[in-house]
Amino acid sequence: MTGTLADLVNQYGLSLILAATFLSCLAVPVPTSLIMISAGAFSAGDDLNLWACAAAALVGAVLGDQAGYALGRRFSGLLDRAGDRTARTIDRARAFTQRRGGPGVFLSRWLFSPLGPYVNYFAGGSGMAWAQFSVWSVLGEMVWVAVYVGAGYLFADQLEAVASILSNLSGAAVGLLLSAALGTWLWRHSARSN
Amino acid sequence: MIRRLAHLWHHHRAATLAFGLIAALTLVLLIRAALFTLYWSDPAHRDPKLQGWMTPRYVAHAWQVPPEVVRAALGDAPLPGPRQSLDAIAQDRGVDPAALIAAIEASLDAHRAAGRSGP
Repeated sequence: MTGTLADLVNQYGLSLILAATFLSCLAVPVPTSLIMISAGAFSAGDDLNLWACAAAALVGAVLGDQAGYALGRRFSGLLDRAGDRTARTIDRARAFTQRRGGPGVFLSRWLFSPLGPYVNYFAGGSGMAWAQFSVWSVLGEMVWVAVYVGAGYLFADQLEAVASILSNLSGAAVGLLLSAALGTWLWRHSARSN
Repeated sequence: MIRRLAHLWHHHRAATLAFGLIAALTLVLLIRAALFTLYWSDPAHRDPKLQGWMTPRYVAHAWQVPPEVVRAALGDAPLPGPRQSLDAIAQDRGVDPAALIAAIEASLDAHRAAGRSGP
């Protein structure tokens, strides 16, 4: 798996990196982390250029975020068709996004990156200000690209190790976030009954 | 605490189960990350293995040898350009990739042996 992907990164270079980050920001299942790590590793050996790889990854990611946001905005009407109870939840989420969505967008780029694409769609659909979304998106993607391409560059001889450690950590980060959210909700509900 | 749990179990069973499942999964992922880190921090597990997708430059970097060591193993034929994998080089030359990899391995070993006996 690592070998085939690394081979592809080597053959198609920057265009593959750009396409991968673009698609993964739209929730298309592409092994983007592995692609960015391989790109970093090949840069370490001078097969690819580190800064060009990072730039390609960043451009793809930012364009992907913009596409997700635009799609969300285009289909925002779908959110309004939800039933009563769901609509109330959506309204609250919408208000929260508009007030404090920035840091959420930022963190869902890299720390909770599996959630990123859905945050894009929701940010567009809930009418989050474009400038606010864009600034946090660019900042977050810079961290994402730096972490993965940088890890590949620094630990080029340990591709598989870096990839498996990072993928487990990234899954655990999302797991912790969901556990905390669900845990808080359950705790409040059980407290209300006492 | 027990009363709370009992209440949740009766009134929000699905959410409680989901919480338990997600928390358990998160724990597994954290333990895996820790175990992988431990495993690979042992130098014995760190020696990379030569593979067909690697390029001469990558090999030189990962094995920390001067590029000439890898080039020497590739013979006198014109030097491959960047981004050409060992598999591609073998195919271009019509040789068995395994033989090419074996030649590079021998060259790396020879370099290491020379380094150890050197000053």
